[in-house]
Amino acid sequence: MIEAKDLTRRYGDFTAVRDVSFTVADGEILGILGPNGAGKTTTIRMITGFLPPSAGQVMVNGHNLVDDPDRAKRELGYLPENVALYNEMRVHEYLAFRGRLQGMKRSAVGEAMDEVLRRCLLSEVSGQIIGTLSKGFRQRVGLAASILHGPRVLVLDEPTVGLDPKQIIAIRELIRELGQDRTLLLSTHILPEVEQLCDRVLIIDRGRLVADGTPSELRQQASGQSRLRLEIKQAPGNVLEVLSQLPGVVEAQRPGDGDLVQLTCRSDEDLREVAFRTAVEQGWVLLELSEKKASLEDVFVRLTGRHQTEENAIDGDEGGDEDGALDGDEGGALNGDESSRGESDDTPGEEVR
Amino acid sequence: MSGMLAIFERELRAYFFSAMAWVVLAFLLLINGYVFAIILSFLNDPMSPGSATPMRLFFGDTFFFWLVLIFIVPVLTMRLLSEERKSGTIESLMTAPVSEVQVVVGKYLAALAFYTFLWLPTLVYVLLVAQHSSVDWGPIASGYLGIFGIGSVFIAVGLFGSSFTKNQIVAAVVTFAMLMFFFAIYFIDSLVTTQVIKDILSYMNLLQHMEELGKGIVDSRRLVYYLSTSVLFLFLSSRVLAAKKWS
Repeated sequence: MIEAKDLTRRYGDFTAVRDVSFTVADGEILGILGPNGAGKTTTIRMITGFLPPSAGQVMVNGHNLVDDPDRAKRELGYLPENVALYNEMRVHEYLAFRGRLQGMKRSAVGEAMDEVLRRCLLSEVSGQIIGTLSKGFRQRVGLAASILHGPRVLVLDEPTVGLDPKQIIAIRELIRELGQDRTLLLSTHILPEVEQLCDRVLIIDRGRLVADGTPSELRQQASGQSRLRLEIKQAPGNVLEVLSQLPGVVEAQRPGDGDLVQLTCRSDEDLREVAFRTAVEQGWVLLELSEKKASLEDVFVRLTGRHQTEENAIDGDEGGDEDGALDGDEGGALNGDESSRGESDDTPGEEVR
Repeated sequence: MSGMLAIFERELRAYFFSAMAWVVLAFLLLINGYVFAIILSFLNDPMSPGSATPMRLFFGDTFFFWLVLIFIVPVLTMRLLSEERKSGTIESLMTAPVSEVQVVVGKYLAALAFYTFLWLPTLVYVLLVAQHSSVDWGPIASGYLGIFGIGSVFIAVGLFGSSFTKNQIVAAVVTFAMLMFFFAIYFIDSLVTTQVIKDILSYMNLLQHMEELGKGIVDSRRLVYYLSTSVLFLFLSSRVLAAKKWS
């Protein structure tokens, strides 16, 4: 169980994470999703005790990370981003080192080692020098090291970054297996990963928590609408008129005047049957009829994309003049087209003001 | 405690697995062997004053001794914390239930152990001398005590130098500069006329320490100085390590 309350982290004047609160329940797999630079790693580093928060607190299985760091850290297994290992060590030596760093006795390390090696499919390379291992193996060594001391809470920062597709599948499988008997927090910027692995998702953007819910909750939240896609052989001109009359249809579109028609519908109704009957009545030949549910990607783009345009609007007031001035000068000299002339017109105005 | 021991062991192993350490050992033996040969031929010269013993001259009475010390310590210590920072392994280290002090002390003891290992082959010189003349073991023991004591201070300084930066070269240069200061106290001492400052400087004058210890004079103030200076720099290193979390 992880409880994060009002976590804030500032680097000088820059606030990387602002007032992020969440709980990861026992046995839950929680995904932290966000674009690069959103504050995922900073959040995770605060949860694992690598970075102290500027404000707020973290409890790991009831132990406060600041007041009782040793107890709290012992409950945690952590796989940092870009898994850093000691390249001169052999796999089993490294694991033993990490185990003893966690306060395990040599005998306890020995007992846990075989099980962990087997679980992470490392038995064959246990005697190999880490520097000679491939990225996929390194990732697994990192994972093995983080679970060796039997933590009940596991934190993984971008566990599949830089792996090839086959390795990604293997690591995901391992994560799913590990998540069965543990509390697991994982950060990623890969959407399918979240859909496949996580019970619940947090979306972080620009250091703020912008969404919290199960993947299906978020999908619903994103759109009260679903989309229907029809392909009609030699669609006649009145196709849009007819379809937009159907109850429940919000909008009918025909991108590119082809045979494809897109219907935007209220999501509480399944219009596929109605659409089919209409096509039959009208004598249309229906080549395709499919429903497209809102994906997590839509949610993500909506939440983080909207954020971005707001931010740009604010930036535009301050930073815009500079850009305008630069573009204007260059554009004016080179080709003096409408847009750049417009911008250079702006510039003197700004300067006067 | 188990965490600190694990760090100590890993660090010591890392020394033996790095090419740099063996280059340092070879360099040290080459210089020391050469110095020892010169000392012997000097003492065999009928014109030499003849009051000194070979080992006494060996311990700190030549500038080679100091040059070697000031060069090898930064090389030994530069990677201690810088490398962890650079490679990112520091993240696993600091998220384990070990304190900054445990990390610093574990690494320090490993460096000191390796430093001690580097000097072990010079015991051959002692044996050589013992075979051909009678040896007074007291001054030899105190001489080695001096090498160990001064090494313990220098390595603490080097660890401190390594705590600032992820760049090993910067760590080495900073350490080198600080060690030069310790070394230069000998010269500053002779330039100062104010008695109080002179007293303080002579307390810190490592060259003088080695001269005494080479003769077999063990002054407990020297040992207190080595211990307290080492502890000070270790403490500073652990504070830097803790403070770096905020930057």
